[in-house]
Amino acid sequence: MQKSDLAYQLERFGLVIVWVAFIALFGALRPDTFLTWSNFSTIFGSEAVLVIVTLGLMIPLTAGDFDLSIAQTLTLVSMATAILDARMDLPLALVLPLGLAIGAFIGLINGAITLYFRVHSLIVTLGVGTFLHGITLWIGNSQTISGVSPVLMEWVIIQRVMGIPVAFYYAIALAFLIWYMLSYTAFGQHLLFTGRGREVGRLTGVAVGKVRLTAFVLSGVLGAFAGILYTGTTGSANPSSGTFLLLPAFAAAFLGATCIRPGRFNPWGSVIAVYFLVTGINGLSVLGFRTFVQDLFYGGALVLAVMVSQLVSGRKERGL
Amino acid sequence: MIPACCVKDNDETNQGDKEMIRMLKGTGLFSALMMAVAVPASAQDDPAAAARSNIESYSGIPEFTAPGEPFDARSCMEGKSILTVPASSAIPFIKTIADQKDALARELGFKHAQWENQGNPTQWIQGMDYAANNGFDLVSLLAGADPRFFEPQVKTAQAAGVKVVTSHLTGLEIPAPAGVDANTAIDYKQAGTLMADWTIAQTDAKVNALIIVSNEALSTDSLVDGLTEGFAKCPDCAYEIVNVPIVDWATRIQPTVQGKLQANPDINYVIPIYDSMSTFVTPAIAISGKRDTVKVATFNGTPFVLDLIREGTVEMDIGENLDWIAHAMLDAEMRLLCGLDAVTDSKVPLRVFTADNIADVGDPAEASKGYGDAYVEGYRKLWKVAE
Repeated sequence: MQKSDLAYQLERFGLVIVWVAFIALFGALRPDTFLTWSNFSTIFGSEAVLVIVTLGLMIPLTAGDFDLSIAQTLTLVSMATAILDARMDLPLALVLPLGLAIGAFIGLINGAITLYFRVHSLIVTLGVGTFLHGITLWIGNSQTISGVSPVLMEWVIIQRVMGIPVAFYYAIALAFLIWYMLSYTAFGQHLLFTGRGREVGRLTGVAVGKVRLTAFVLSGVLGAFAGILYTGTTGSANPSSGTFLLLPAFAAAFLGATCIRPGRFNPWGSVIAVYFLVTGINGLSVLGFRTFVQDLFYGGALVLAVMVSQLVSGRKERGL
Repeated sequence: MIPACCVKDNDETNQGDKEMIRMLKGTGLFSALMMAVAVPASAQDDPAAAARSNIESYSGIPEFTAPGEPFDARSCMEGKSILTVPASSAIPFIKTIADQKDALARELGFKHAQWENQGNPTQWIQGMDYAANNGFDLVSLLAGADPRFFEPQVKTAQAAGVKVVTSHLTGLEIPAPAGVDANTAIDYKQAGTLMADWTIAQTDAKVNALIIVSNEALSTDSLVDGLTEGFAKCPDCAYEIVNVPIVDWATRIQPTVQGKLQANPDINYVIPIYDSMSTFVTPAIAISGKRDTVKVATFNGTPFVLDLIREGTVEMDIGENLDWIAHAMLDAEMRLLCGLDAVTDSKVPLRVFTADNIADVGDPAEASKGYGDAYVEGYRKLWKVAE
């Protein structure tokens, strides 16, 4: 299937080239401010949560399922972490595994309903997500909970390696693990088969149901991990703010599928997509543009990138 | 840093920002002229001292000021009824005020009901219709239920004999919106001035502030007026105002603040004019590595932000007492129904909370703690229910 010609390489690295072009443009306009290590450390360090949500979404998307509840999983676990830590004074060593277990449980519920009742995952996860939001508002009494242990903030945004908050390295490590899983493990291959054609997968001996269920559980765990990092980033938990990450994460997942492994959801593409979008928004802020321009950039970049990718690849049908 | 009040202008700033900056410069110059007439020479010579003095007067436990003459609330409210339509029953700040109004009405022996809703304007309209069809005497649009969204329904209710008032919606100088019968306001402008004064006092009149606003909220105009007037007194202060719509707080505030801190390394204060914005401002400052040089001053007195003062991530928050607000709003509404003069200035006081007095609000902070209880007795005397 792979072409080795220039067009394919252009398609693979098109987004990277546009990203570099944006950096050059912003750098030329504000070299003193934009082209500084402190600015890049800000860019890299600030969106680790979005990268992890995007990676979490990518796993069920690869298996052909949607997880619209991931942002609500994030919000619920963020709230649960804050309540258990700040209000109930439980140690982080207990709170963090509990948070991840909540995420896994939500994934299990999503998967079980989708598979057992044969309902489309879009509807199941939409409903479960809304239900989770109700629980979040309930347990948090619709309030922002602060007073989270400084140790959590310390290990999310305060500690730095080469000037970049450690949360960035967590996200990159996860991207590496998912890349390894998709490329070199049997489960990764089964995930791809399941996404490309469930019946074909089933006939070739793939346990499609089990694979899809595992994908939902992994998505839930990553959503929970993002929730813990979100609490560590803000030092508090807000009952609704995490929910706004859903659409940017979907945008990044689809944008990421236009590069590195075009036509396939892939972790490095997702990471590049997030940082491409963040670079654009940071550059526009540094240049002093008003915030509505950020929306123009976000939406415009997504549609343009997909269009250009299709043109470069000769407008073939996408399998996404 | 740009001298002579107040806003920096640069080549990269876009047209919309330039318009805003021109307007602010106009306001700043006008304010400066006014201040030249109104402020004693010492304040002009030493803006930091004047700012400190203003902050000091708002740092202690506030005193009760009666908003009008005493009246016999129990007898004149007999048989009358009020329906409160809160901006959203899901927002604890507003729900607490509405619940306190319920309790006060019970104490005074008249009917008070809430139209529970989740912040949807169609639900507010249903509340208006319910009041008009069920014999209520007054509808109180509380803390953000904006009558400009349903002016025809306001007129219909008024035609049916129901008085419609807005409570805790605007600043003192903003006229009653959408033809409502009265508008009981909060001194948002003073809150804006106090935020400016705090930063001026802390930096010895060398502020370089990033101010985050949400223009769609009616209180924003008054808060921004107060801030610009406050900074007009400070020739060596600079500020930039950035608008982030409320729905975009979670996704836009953090990258915007990070970008501005990079673009302007001299910024020493971020002023999110509503303190719930702080959730997104404080991580932006931490990620930019500027926790030691950039401080946060804000307004609202939301409990979790008061807790952030104790933790050291927010430096100052101006608060108002929710229970006091409930007393003040109900007082104004009862006066209207009793044929007394309408109250515009609710006299609800503001208090500046910092590390020095944060212990007064409890740990964790409570919504109505830290303001004393002078108002409890004050209002009861005013309503002639206590000696």
